[in-house]
Amino acid sequence: MSEIRIAAESRTEFGKGAARRARRAGFVPGVVYGHGHTPVHLNLPSHDLMMALKTPNALLVVPIEGKDEYVLPKAVQREAIKRSIEHVDLLLVKRGEKVTVEIPVHAEGELAPGGNLLEHALNALPIEAEATHLPESVTVSVEGLEAGASITAGDIALPAGVTLAVEADVVVLQVIGAQAPEATEEEAETEGEAAEGEEAAVEA
Amino acid sequence: MLIPRRVKHRKQHHPKRRGAAKGGTELAFGQFGIQAVTPAYVTNRQIESARIAITRHIRRGGKVWINIYPDRPLTKKPAETRMGSGKGSPEWWIANVHPGRVMFELSYPNEKIAREALTRAAHKLPMKCRIVRREDGES
Repeated sequence: MSEIRIAAESRTEFGKGAARRARRAGFVPGVVYGHGHTPVHLNLPSHDLMMALKTPNALLVVPIEGKDEYVLPKAVQREAIKRSIEHVDLLLVKRGEKVTVEIPVHAEGELAPGGNLLEHALNALPIEAEATHLPESVTVSVEGLEAGASITAGDIALPAGVTLAVEADVVVLQVIGAQAPEATEEEAETEGEAAEGEEAAVEA
Repeated sequence: MLIPRRVKHRKQHHPKRRGAAKGGTELAFGQFGIQAVTPAYVTNRQIESARIAITRHIRRGGKVWINIYPDRPLTKKPAETRMGSGKGSPEWWIANVHPGRVMFELSYPNEKIAREALTRAAHKLPMKCRIVRREDGES
């Protein structure tokens, strides 16, 4: 995965007033921590950060105390309605360091006919990989899977250098059999009348 | 219809409607969902009506999650009654929904039908809603 350079500025004023001023000026308040360092507070340009975070587990390069450092997004707080980024936690990583992240699981192919539903028991798969070589996603073939079939974490082929960070028998995808459609109002009424008729017959 | 089996207090004050949702603002289970954009009290009848609208439209091969629960009673005094003489009797059960809350989630293989089903359900709800979709891998 390629790295994304973000021109962050160091943040000296704190609290909600300062954070709101920063957001109005087009920045996102953030914090960088990890490797036992004291946390560093930054202001990151909001549009650049928003574009960068569209990639899962984007490897960012931010200047910290005059030196470029690799960071990974650890937690992103978004506004509930507008989905704009309010704050970001960044984790300091080093080249070659192994990190645990979650990557999205994509399913490809068609299920066996019969109106079955593919359920994602895990939407993101926890993996351990080198911080500078994180895969963007994994793709799993669900071609011809019947109802009741499942794909566990151990069944997923991972790229070289990537290991699972969950038990291999954890279910990631499962196929649920089609359920009978819910009775429409007319059908329900008809059934209800029939049931009443039966009850009346029993009473009689 | 959703209704609490047992409550500590039969009659409660009206819940606060200010502010945005503090949690439940992301899709947790399904691929699509209905998100509240304005605040509202949603009654158990409206929740049931929306659920039926979804299940009748998708017919089969989908899964629906309801993320809100009507756990607050609202009371009403009888018509043409003088003020005073105590609080009215419980009349409705409501979920206090704040903007941003994802109320219903749906998993369905066909996006067009899923959106149609959720739109029908949104028409049964008392607030402005929008349909949200799971964005793959967004941090």
